[in-house]
Amino acid sequence: MFLKKSNLFRSFVGLLVMFTIFVAGCSNTTKDQENASDKEKTKVVTFSWPGDIGDLNPHTYFPNEFFSQAMVYEPLVYYGEGGEIKPWLAESWDISKDGKEYVFHLRKDVQFSDGSPFNAEIVKKNFDTVLDNRKQHEWVELINQIKSTEVVDEYTFKLTLHNSYYPTLQELTYVRPLRFVGEAAFPDSQNTFKDGLKSPIGTGPWVLSEYKKNEFAVFERNEQYWGTKPKVDKVVVKVITDGESRVLAFEKKELDFIFGNGVISQDSFQFLKNSGKYETKLSEPTATRTLLFNTNNEATKDRKVRLALNHAFNKQAVIDNIFYGMEEKADTLFPPVLDYTKINVDPYEYDAAKAEQLLDEAGWKKVEGKPFREKDGKELQLEFLFNSTDNIQKSIAEFVQGDFRKLGIDIKLTSQESNTFWKTAFQGKYDLLFTSTWSVPFDPHSYLAAITTDSENGSPDYTALLGLPEKKEIDQKIKKVLLTTDEKERKMLYTDILMTLHEQAVYLPISYQSNVAVYHKNISGVDFLPQEVEVPLTSIDVK
Amino acid sequence: MGWFIVKRLTSLIPILLGISLITFILLHLIPGDPAVAYLRISHIPPTDEAVAALRVELGLNKPLYIQYLDWLGKVLQLDLGMSYVSKNAVWDEILLHLFPTIQLTCASLIFIVVISLPIGMISAIYKGKFVDQFSRIVAFVSVSMPSFWFGFLLIYLLSVKLDLFPVLGRGTLAHLVLPSLTLAFGYIGTYMRLLRASMLENLNEPFVMYAKARGLRQRLIVSRHVLKKSLLPVITGLGMSLGNMLGGAVIVETIFAWPGMGQLFVTSILNQDYPMIQGCVLFMSVIFVVCNLLVDIMYSFLDPRIRWEGEK
Repeated sequence: MFLKKSNLFRSFVGLLVMFTIFVAGCSNTTKDQENASDKEKTKVVTFSWPGDIGDLNPHTYFPNEFFSQAMVYEPLVYYGEGGEIKPWLAESWDISKDGKEYVFHLRKDVQFSDGSPFNAEIVKKNFDTVLDNRKQHEWVELINQIKSTEVVDEYTFKLTLHNSYYPTLQELTYVRPLRFVGEAAFPDSQNTFKDGLKSPIGTGPWVLSEYKKNEFAVFERNEQYWGTKPKVDKVVVKVITDGESRVLAFEKKELDFIFGNGVISQDSFQFLKNSGKYETKLSEPTATRTLLFNTNNEATKDRKVRLALNHAFNKQAVIDNIFYGMEEKADTLFPPVLDYTKINVDPYEYDAAKAEQLLDEAGWKKVEGKPFREKDGKELQLEFLFNSTDNIQKSIAEFVQGDFRKLGIDIKLTSQESNTFWKTAFQGKYDLLFTSTWSVPFDPHSYLAAITTDSENGSPDYTALLGLPEKKEIDQKIKKVLLTTDEKERKMLYTDILMTLHEQAVYLPISYQSNVAVYHKNISGVDFLPQEVEVPLTSIDVK
Repeated sequence: MGWFIVKRLTSLIPILLGISLITFILLHLIPGDPAVAYLRISHIPPTDEAVAALRVELGLNKPLYIQYLDWLGKVLQLDLGMSYVSKNAVWDEILLHLFPTIQLTCASLIFIVVISLPIGMISAIYKGKFVDQFSRIVAFVSVSMPSFWFGFLLIYLLSVKLDLFPVLGRGTLAHLVLPSLTLAFGYIGTYMRLLRASMLENLNEPFVMYAKARGLRQRLIVSRHVLKKSLLPVITGLGMSLGNMLGGAVIVETIFAWPGMGQLFVTSILNQDYPMIQGCVLFMSVIFVVCNLLVDIMYSFLDPRIRWEGEK
């Protein structure tokens, strides 16, 4: 037996020595030096993402990530600053007078990363494979509106619609599903949705060069790229699920920058900012964090109750204490900086006395000796559903519970994991739901369009608003606004829709969220792009 | 000896069958329809027709026992089905995540053995002295300190401040040190005290006195006789811990961005990826049973009495 033959003390000492050598040998000072000399030759930036980059297929969704799809695949037109539609793979376009025909003149100098040509033929092929799976992309109204696709000549592509649909160009800028893969990427069945891609071949500035699932992905600059070439040679995306680990890795310089929304806690952001060692940035408001009332349930069916809760919510306290003043107070469903979303309304200011009065009027009265208000012997209890993986939602939910209790409202907190959360939300099993708008370029039109359909990829707002007597009318107006050709009428309709939603107080907007960026001082070009989901990898440079 | 192993191996068959049955049934007790989950994950609206068609395709319309037999037949050929999310074979995904887990487990085991056994032994010999007192404190800290906190402390001190190790990720051996030390730390206290207690007990046995009477040196007595006997409970424990660690350490894996079994299991639960959950549960149970078997076999090496009993 092995124990008999050797002297145990000695073997332990031996092990210990070996172990020390192992640990010492592992220490990575030498490795860093190697890396440093490597870095001189090729410029590399490293950042992290909470999940894997997915299978890099622009025609599908989960587990794909927007940012990685946008690195490799490009749209016909690009969503620019302030919503301006910029020529991209199409250098110009003509729209017929009736607004039903779009003719795109494609760039002639574009190649896919495998060297194959980008032309009208491949554009049509990509459109057609997406249209073959129309049902899956129902949430993009444009997909429903497309009647036919046509190759006019080698570099001219024509799109014919059923109706004149004004957000056509805007929806063509979306990261998915209308972006283009090369011929060699198509699976044998030609159905990219069902069978995936053979390999990720796009026209974009980046090409995937190395990939280890759930660990990292390395993208190299596409040397044949037609547009402004990225300044760095390589981008490394590390998968780091935990926000605190991300911060530590950043401090250790294992990450060059942190970018995104909710990728680190507000506390960490504040800590990094106050340290003075790093550059920090906050983007303009992108989307709205909001609560949604379920208008089908007994208490929240009553507009007065919804109004009361709007007045009872102390947004400023939430912003000061949970967001450290980093987010802007929201009074309307969409940030007023977007197209068509600026409306003149009196915001529901924090006013506890008014809230109490409204609750009294609604019949929910205080009862002597009982903590909560009652109506016909029933306690005022509201179920607040939120996503348990989101730390911010949790803190706000707890704050709301405490604050509303003072007014005699019992808030029952229900937290669920992402998947279950959305399922419950779609089923409408809640009184109050924590949700947010979709950010540009989806806001406001795609978000509102989703309210009108009971679609799987839509939003829970459809079910939540069913209890409104005005629901049908609102739906009709939303459908109408998407097909208006007259700018003035469109503006009026949007104002009308948003005013109704505000007056009905079905939402309780809390704050406008922003993207955050934290980077080391040797990094430059970390600018926010118009589409919230894109990471500015093309402009980033390392000194 | 051979007979003993054969006997233990045959007893595995009913256990494994039992595990497969329980795994299969458990998943059918979870509320929710796998067909709906599949459609939802694939971004296909779960209309009644789509669900019905998929139920036929996945064989969910067959009687439960046939479903079980079908599944078992495939499992025996190492076909655990296809993940709803990645559309890859479950078995391939498990293999992909298993290697990092094995790496982490082995390194942790080294840490556990190298740190806890010598300290445990010394504190038994010098009972009540400084070493013993010190090891007691270490043991308390080890078992009560949550691993996420300890992990962050290690990163902060050894990596960010002293720049000795990388913060996270996989790659060189250096990447392995912090996560495995974090994982090992929780076990170190337990095994230190376990060995100490068991040695103290054996130091009072008559065979020790007899050995002393034979004039053997203390060092020899401890290393050849006492230690070997005292290692028995430690090995049982380590076997169990090995099974645990191979099942994945979710918290440690999350902190250090280590793509192991724990992460795979948790994400598949969050995604309601039924075949993946089933595959993971089955796989982990089998690992656990096999580890136990190995412990049993090793036991019979260390303590012949067990072997003889089996052969009688």
